[in-house]
Amino acid sequence: MAPPAQSQRSPSPSQPSGKSEVTDLKTQLRQLAGSRAPGVDDSKRELFKKVISYMTIGIDVSSLFGEMVMCSATSDIVLKKMCYLYVGNYAKGNPELALLTINFLQRDCKDEDPMIRGLALRSLSSLRVENLVEYLVGPLGSGLKDNNSYVRMVAVMGVLKLYHISAATCVDADFPATLKHLMLHDPDTQVVANCLSALQEIWSSEASTSEEASREKETLISKPVIFYLLNRIKEFSEWAQCLLLELVAKYVPADSNEIFDIMNLLEDRLQHANGAVVLATIKVFLQLTLSMADVHQEVYERIKAPLLTLVSSGSPEQSYAVLSHLHLLVLRAPYIFSSDYKHFYCQYNEPSYVKKLKLEMLTAVANETNTYEIVTELCEYAANVDIPIARESIRAVGKIALQQYDVNAIVDRLLQFLEMEKDYVTAEALVLVKDLLRKYPQWSHDCIAVVGNISSKNVQEPKAKAALIWMLGEYSQDMNDAPYILEGLTENWDDEHSAEVRLHLLTAVMKCFFKRPPETQKALGAALAAGLADFHQDVHDRALFYYRLLQYNVSIAERVVNPPKQPVSVFADTHSSEIKDRIFDEFNSLSVVYQKPSYMFTDKEHRGPFEFSDELGNLSIGAEATNDVVRANRVEANDQDLLLSTSEKEESRGASNNGSAYSAPLYDASSVSAAASQAQSDSLISNLEVAGPQASFAIDDLLGLGLPAAPAPPPLKLNSRAVLDPATFQQKWRQLPISVSQEHSLNPQGVAALTAPQALLRHMQSHSIQCIASGGQSPNFKFFFFAQKAEESSIYLVECKINTSSAKAQITIKVDDQNTSQEFSTLFLSALSKFGFP
Amino acid sequence: MPVAASAIYFLNLRGDVLINRLYRDDVGGNMVDAFRMHIMQTKELGTCPVRQIGGCSFFYMRISNVYIVIVVSSNANVACAFKFVVEAVALFKSYFGGAFDEDAIRNNFVLIYELLDEIMDFGYPQNLSPEILKLYITQEGVRSPFSSKPTDKPVPNATLQVTGAVGWRREGLVYKKNEVFLDIVESVNLLMSSKGSVLRCDVTGKILMKCFLSGMPDLKLGLNDKIGLEKESQMKSRPAKSGKTIELDDVTFHQCVNLTRFNSEKTVSFVPPDGEFELMKYRITEGVNLPFRVLPTIKELGRTRMEVNVKVKSVFGVKMFALGVVIKIPVPKQTAKASFQVTSGRAKYNAAIDCLVWKIRKFPGQTEPTLSAEIELISTMAEKKSWTRPPIQMEFQVPMFTASGLRVRFLKVWEKSGYNTVEWVRYITKAGSYEIRC
Repeated sequence: MAPPAQSQRSPSPSQPSGKSEVTDLKTQLRQLAGSRAPGVDDSKRELFKKVISYMTIGIDVSSLFGEMVMCSATSDIVLKKMCYLYVGNYAKGNPELALLTINFLQRDCKDEDPMIRGLALRSLSSLRVENLVEYLVGPLGSGLKDNNSYVRMVAVMGVLKLYHISAATCVDADFPATLKHLMLHDPDTQVVANCLSALQEIWSSEASTSEEASREKETLISKPVIFYLLNRIKEFSEWAQCLLLELVAKYVPADSNEIFDIMNLLEDRLQHANGAVVLATIKVFLQLTLSMADVHQEVYERIKAPLLTLVSSGSPEQSYAVLSHLHLLVLRAPYIFSSDYKHFYCQYNEPSYVKKLKLEMLTAVANETNTYEIVTELCEYAANVDIPIARESIRAVGKIALQQYDVNAIVDRLLQFLEMEKDYVTAEALVLVKDLLRKYPQWSHDCIAVVGNISSKNVQEPKAKAALIWMLGEYSQDMNDAPYILEGLTENWDDEHSAEVRLHLLTAVMKCFFKRPPETQKALGAALAAGLADFHQDVHDRALFYYRLLQYNVSIAERVVNPPKQPVSVFADTHSSEIKDRIFDEFNSLSVVYQKPSYMFTDKEHRGPFEFSDELGNLSIGAEATNDVVRANRVEANDQDLLLSTSEKEESRGASNNGSAYSAPLYDASSVSAAASQAQSDSLISNLEVAGPQASFAIDDLLGLGLPAAPAPPPLKLNSRAVLDPATFQQKWRQLPISVSQEHSLNPQGVAALTAPQALLRHMQSHSIQCIASGGQSPNFKFFFFAQKAEESSIYLVECKINTSSAKAQITIKVDDQNTSQEFSTLFLSALSKFGFP
Repeated sequence: MPVAASAIYFLNLRGDVLINRLYRDDVGGNMVDAFRMHIMQTKELGTCPVRQIGGCSFFYMRISNVYIVIVVSSNANVACAFKFVVEAVALFKSYFGGAFDEDAIRNNFVLIYELLDEIMDFGYPQNLSPEILKLYITQEGVRSPFSSKPTDKPVPNATLQVTGAVGWRREGLVYKKNEVFLDIVESVNLLMSSKGSVLRCDVTGKILMKCFLSGMPDLKLGLNDKIGLEKESQMKSRPAKSGKTIELDDVTFHQCVNLTRFNSEKTVSFVPPDGEFELMKYRITEGVNLPFRVLPTIKELGRTRMEVNVKVKSVFGVKMFALGVVIKIPVPKQTAKASFQVTSGRAKYNAAIDCLVWKIRKFPGQTEPTLSAEIELISTMAEKKSWTRPPIQMEFQVPMFTASGLRVRFLKVWEKSGYNTVEWVRYITKAGSYEIRC
């Protein structure tokens, strides 16, 4: 290990800067090195302690290496251990000096005391210096044959450490085979367990290059090995049991008898006090019974009680780990847990991460029989002091309402929320009422009565305000003062900072105008005027669009802006079922906690696009760049993520980026239209006086008609000059949730044109979608795109994987502003589908 | 790969490193900085104990004034990692004699490094049993059995113990007086609605055992749980005795309990570790005897005054009593003054937690003391919104009472030398999260 970097914070009094202290220590150690005076060990111990404590707080004491080694000739085991710890920490950075330690470590490896043999062997294998491995092979070999199990146990881990320093040395010495033998024959279970972990690691990483290793990897999960280990499971320590159960979960039994044998054997593990063992056992049960639906269901019933116990015992962190798993199971099979909903009630003092999971589970298990209780409970949380939780619980009520159970009562509750007069409660409830009305328009009467009483001044959050305005527009015929409220809002146009709200306001005023023309006429004029003068591109465009529509034909305008609507039946789900299954397969791991499959957070390629762009850089520079170099770079880049030295990264990549961003011919949409509109706007505003009466004449025609037409989506404009630095892209990609993930078929022309990644890049650029990284060779290509909403900071990120042989594109979109994700996705796909046409 | 940790750090609340131990090379050396920058110095702290930064995942736990942070780069086993930390802390505590905090760590850091070396190797947990580790890692260090002067204890024996088959018990223990102490400790969790109906109620209990027994004894414990009794009457083919039986929702046992025998015969039989340990844990949701009923009435009289009346009823036996009863009644933030009348104990207004705190040191069974309080509020124009009332919370301990009704029917000890043992059994029920909405 590299010496710990000196802490960058200014040194606090308790953490001395180090220089002079280290020199002091050096002289003192020197004095003691040769001394044989009585009590010398005690003073050595004090000095060693000091050294270790400096090392801990990050002061570089590697300069003492020589002195430490000199002082290490001692029979005091505590001194020895401190010395080993020190050596282990600094050997990697000082390979020449590490050589000094080899001698005494090797001698200790032959000590008559097994404890010392073990300790020395552990330290020897922790040196991590590649050119010293030759000294390690011998002691490891004899360690594995040692008659003391402690030494064997250490030696087995030593083999694994050796493998990570120098795989070739480890394999050449035939250690894996020795380990396999030990695993199947050693009387000591900890030795067996360590063999198992070592072999799993070694063979998994060897499997990609050696067929023999992949065969060996398979034999680990073969019947003889699994059954041999299972029969000894009770002798294993709790941790080793976790390891073994993890292995058993991968085993594929030959028939159902075997499955039941294993389950019978392991059933008592569900009673184990160690939660990790219980979870590992549950995983085995779930995996074994996947193909047997009835038994699988029984397994759920069986594991319910142990899981609920685990949740209620232990620290909040432990219950969080268990709850995440329970959460997964509840979402997979809500009906099985529907009678246990009371276990998911939140306690007042629970941390919010626990509450949040519980709320989601309460939502999931709601059905006809328990909805009333659950909603009552959720309403209690709405008054919670913890505001994020209060918000979550209101959202939960809404979700339950959308599941269609007992909507009547829930609507009442939601309306009560609106009367609670707390800003955030009102805000969340408004958004929910809006969604509810989109699904159940029949409730409009009750809701509108209450919504009408809310003063728009008390609603500040953009989302809530937009929801309120939407309702004002949609139900303006039922709300007496809708036109006047809208008018009031229009008057304060300039104080409204959110473009989303202004867009909604435009549309709402339009809708209101169609329903109650005389009252709204004034507001409409003002809104259109304000919209046309708006600095925000989208708002401006929408205002212009409405204005021209009205000018062209009022009845068509109504058909476009306010067509009859179909109630929304199902709101989109965020997670695909494929991802959910992947997570389920990785039960009892981090995937469950993060709620995403492991490749998304452990594979470098998925964590961010930059490792990928590195690779691309190497590929395009030339074929000389070997794979090794690429790998090295990637690791480095990975480390740098944490070092936060983004500036260097930017430098190294900036060149290629800028090149791609500016070399293409720029299609400057925004400036053109802005200029045009500027020229027109003066005349438009004066025309408005004329436009108003015209429109109201046309209303007579309009009343008789009402052909359904699809609502035109508000056009989404992209900034054609969007610039994003790679670091921000990476950061955003990590932070944002997936908004859209879908597969899209490519047309044959597109496939034919995609001979090199560059072709698509230029094409997408002409649609104001920039590429930040791309790569791959026929038939697989991969691209990372980004785009920016015109005159707004909202960014769209896209990962696009194209397989030209199957003519499919796998697209993942992440956006800042969730509202426009669909629009963007449509825009992106339409741009993509135009690819290949001249 | 079920690796539990690539590195472990102990930090104090300021973020200074107390202990750092790197087990694997797959994480960088400056993980602490990342943790400090992205978790400790942000609002993220406390929002979630598992966080991903860069390619690494951080699991952290706060224990007194110390953060223990585990760093991994792979898809690790979270439950295992947290359990490891909890067990490791228990181990350290048993070494330090109780406290685990910054000072204890600073004073014992060499020992902690020694232990960290033994309990985990290359990210895989090894042996964490205090009984065994104490054989060869001693707090003094000087008295190590491996020091230059050989001690009475034969060395190979100790290392054999490290990995022996009955990992939790040493052979050759001798006590003059053979004693077993059983403590049945239950905590009642209650959530009651403002209308007095029980929303949620359960009991989590544990049986703690302290053994001072010679040799390798075999113990068998009998409880009045339903399944155990039914099985017993089946085997002896006589009807089960009348009397209360308990239905345990779920049970977990210490690793010394023979689980196979529990599953087939429903008896708890085991070879106990020496000294103190937790024999079993259980959970019960049906038929819980609540020790206390709380009947609050809170009236808001206008904008500046409130009237609070709380009656607490003890529903356990007349001869029993509860100790250390504390009732926390929340009041609004803008409380100015509170005046009390209580029929028992003492009450005061604690502004730091916005609660009236009513303490009753000794609370006999079948009594119902009351508190009536008048609260004056500062009238503020801004605070016109109605006050959302947090629940009333209660703490107590009731000795010789079990909320579940669980009883120990017998505890049998067999040892080949056939000595007599003295058994002591105690019961106590504590408040877990005892919340009454008002």
